[in-house]
Amino acid sequence: MAAGPLLALLLLAEPVAAKDTTPRTDTSCVSCHGQIDAEMVGALANDVHFQKGLSCHDCHGGNPASGIDDPALAHDKKKGWTGKPSRLQVPGLCARCHADAAFMKRFNPHLRVDQLSEYRTSVHGKKNAEGDPRPAICVDCHGVHGIRAVSDPRSSVYPTNLAPTCARCHASADVMKPYNLATNQYESYRTSVHAKALHDKGDLSAPTCNDCHGSHGAVPPGVGAVANVCGSCHGREATLFRETEAKKKMDLSLCIQCMVCHDNHAVQPPKPEMLGVGPQSTCTGCHSPGDPEYQMAADMANAAATLRERLATAKDTLDRAERAGMEVSADRFALQEGQNKLVEVRVLTHSFDRERFLAAAGEGTAVADGGIAAGRRAFRELRNRRLGLGVSLLVILAVITGLYLKLRQIEKA
Amino acid sequence: MSEGGRADAGPGLRGWLEERTGVSLILDLAHKKTVPLHRHTIWYYLGGMTLFLFTIQVATGILLLLYYRSSSDEAFESIQFIMTKVPFGWLIRSIHSWSANLLVFVLFVHMFSVFFLKAYRRPRELTWVTGALLLFVMLAFGFSGYLLPWNTLAFFATQVGTEVAGSVPGMGRFMLRFLRGGEHVTGGTLTRFYGIHVAVLPALTTALLLLHLLLVQRHGMSRPPGQNEGRTMPFVPNFLLRDCIGWCVALGLLAALAALFPWELGTKADPFAPAPAGIRPEWYFGWMFQTLKLLPGHVLGIEGELIGIFAFGVGGLLFVLAPFLDRSQEKRRVSLGFTVAGAIVIAYMAVMTVLVYLPGKP
Amino acid sequence: MSRRKFLDWFLGTSVGAMCASVLYPIFRYLVPPDVPEAQTNRAVAAREGDLKPNESKVFPFGSQPAILIRGADGTYHAFSATCTHLNCTVQYRGDLRQIWCACHNGFYDLAGANVSGPPPRPLEQFTVHVTEGEIVVSKS
Repeated sequence: MAAGPLLALLLLAEPVAAKDTTPRTDTSCVSCHGQIDAEMVGALANDVHFQKGLSCHDCHGGNPASGIDDPALAHDKKKGWTGKPSRLQVPGLCARCHADAAFMKRFNPHLRVDQLSEYRTSVHGKKNAEGDPRPAICVDCHGVHGIRAVSDPRSSVYPTNLAPTCARCHASADVMKPYNLATNQYESYRTSVHAKALHDKGDLSAPTCNDCHGSHGAVPPGVGAVANVCGSCHGREATLFRETEAKKKMDLSLCIQCMVCHDNHAVQPPKPEMLGVGPQSTCTGCHSPGDPEYQMAADMANAAATLRERLATAKDTLDRAERAGMEVSADRFALQEGQNKLVEVRVLTHSFDRERFLAAAGEGTAVADGGIAAGRRAFRELRNRRLGLGVSLLVILAVITGLYLKLRQIEKA
Repeated sequence: MSEGGRADAGPGLRGWLEERTGVSLILDLAHKKTVPLHRHTIWYYLGGMTLFLFTIQVATGILLLLYYRSSSDEAFESIQFIMTKVPFGWLIRSIHSWSANLLVFVLFVHMFSVFFLKAYRRPRELTWVTGALLLFVMLAFGFSGYLLPWNTLAFFATQVGTEVAGSVPGMGRFMLRFLRGGEHVTGGTLTRFYGIHVAVLPALTTALLLLHLLLVQRHGMSRPPGQNEGRTMPFVPNFLLRDCIGWCVALGLLAALAALFPWELGTKADPFAPAPAGIRPEWYFGWMFQTLKLLPGHVLGIEGELIGIFAFGVGGLLFVLAPFLDRSQEKRRVSLGFTVAGAIVIAYMAVMTVLVYLPGKP
Repeated sequence: MSRRKFLDWFLGTSVGAMCASVLYPIFRYLVPPDVPEAQTNRAVAAREGDLKPNESKVFPFGSQPAILIRGADGTYHAFSATCTHLNCTVQYRGDLRQIWCACHNGFYDLAGANVSGPPPRPLEQFTVHVTEGEIVVSKS
């Protein structure tokens, strides 16, 4: 009898102490289905609906009264029994509660109630409405009988688990073939700096699929919306980019914007070589030698390279001075401002404004030059020490000579 | 002049001092003191050189402790402060570090020269014993002082060193807890080592050094075996002037080392970081460290390391008691056996020390 | 001058010079420097009157940047200026009365709490004392 321990397990489910929110373990559903499909019923212990007091009949209908042994009586159509809903019926079934604001307020006033209407704007939702049972429905992402709250780190849609959940379909050639969709997005994303931040470093502020594509209204951002989407975190870069449109009187809504230089899924940390006219540059994809923009890219890249070089020289000089025992911590701190300027310069790339870029790079280079000068000062001080040493050695030599001569004088006598 | 004092203490300041302190007694002894002249006279300078270097240590040490902080939060930073912000702090600190190493080196040469010249023979056995104990005290100075900058190398070297002390059967656990101020090397260890370095060991040194120098003056300079008579040199001024030349050379050497090869500070110790590769104690402990590394894991059922520690213990005891073990004076024969033993020990220590620094499997 | 006298003079003068070259560094060493101790736990960030209300200043604290803010009501606040997200240096926005990190638009309030954007933790807060016209910042 698997029901016994299963009941015990269900009783151990974390109950929310409210009058009508204790888990229902006494239903006829649980006592029969616990024996037929122990795994499914066992999963209910983790289900947030079950923990809040909802039970099988709240979704499937039927007569839950305990003690009923006869399936026909339990599966009573007059009591609303619907059996297993079809994939086309599921969104509407969930929305029966989740789109009802008054109902949801009883459980969690913070929850949104527009998921179904968002879903219907998505490709998944549109196709589902048209009668295609294959695209994702609620239970594909959230689970069906062991649904955890989204904020639960064990939930299949918690940020660190979301991408693999999407990849279950979107990385499968079989599932995507009828729709002619690529299946490399998860693989690409996994190599990105965002994935590394989220999955490897645990930075929950890093984006995963739903941060750019939306959760229920999942749709790739429209071509004109890419800068807005990236800009929801990378605000400065997006603002500068938008300013370019106005300043240069361009309509950038028809181009893929951020994705021209940075990928969409496999976003890597930007390399200095991306700016300029070298082999790995992203500028030369559109601009050819002779364009004014080509020259501007070259100038900007040179200014940035000079800044990086001088900062490296300054840091190296100060390191060597410090190894030689000189005081450089205040100079090192001043050099930090140069590092800040370098970050600012890299952001200003998105302004595509040569004067502004060169000005910031110039300020940074000035700081770096200050650091180099400080390092040279430290080495001058070191030379002074050696000079001092030389003088004192001469004095000691004089003393030794005097002592020696005195000794000779005494011993000759 | 008051009655009851010396009848004629002399005029002026000298006379005034003489009447009150009787200092002319010491001056007389100094003027009478002679040093034997023979082909091994040069080794006589080493005792004074060791004393000179120790004086440098005391002076620079006192200067350093005016700015040093002995808590794990501040020790490293306080030395950084001394090296960078205090005028000539770099000089005082580097001289202290270099002189410590020079002191240990000269001390070993002094000890070996005394050994090979058999200066420990009767009646100078106690001079040798106090000298041997002084050597242990100087090594303790080195070990305790090494931790004070609280940098990574020092932290882990101390951990290894106290671990070895802890593996002595019986009192090992107690010794480890006593040295570390607890189970692990912590800020408590640092405070304890500082107290040992600036108070306990100097007190011990004062007592032992006073005894050692008094005994040296009492017995005069020993002559090598077989030379019972010979030419001498007055201590004042001939030997002393030569001593001064040697001390000036040492001073110049220290100044050059401090200015041209300043002593590194390293990185601040992080007790929670894993030990970096290549942890080594100071060079003068290297030969013991290398010996323990080379011993096999187990010998006849006993842990190899324990055998090594036991051997060092026995060796140390034999070292202190050497004068009582050398029966040659009774037999009026120069003990070749002891000379050979000494040569083997030097060779062993030298080879082991070099091995520590050779690249390859540690 | 006889050779003996010259030698005595030479020896005396050179010994004197050597003593001077030993005593000079020792004397300089004993005179305390301007800053009497390492600034790891305590630093003078500014003088009274350097900052007007609603202004800020980034200053070195140990080897890390720290920020001193004079609020609109005149009180001083001090925090570590290293953003807890990806270590950019933060700045004070007088218009918003909040601390802002330009790299990814993170915001902290004047208690150091991370209130918006990616920063996962508040800024480390330091204690501020005003003594003898100096604004002294120390680790809490």
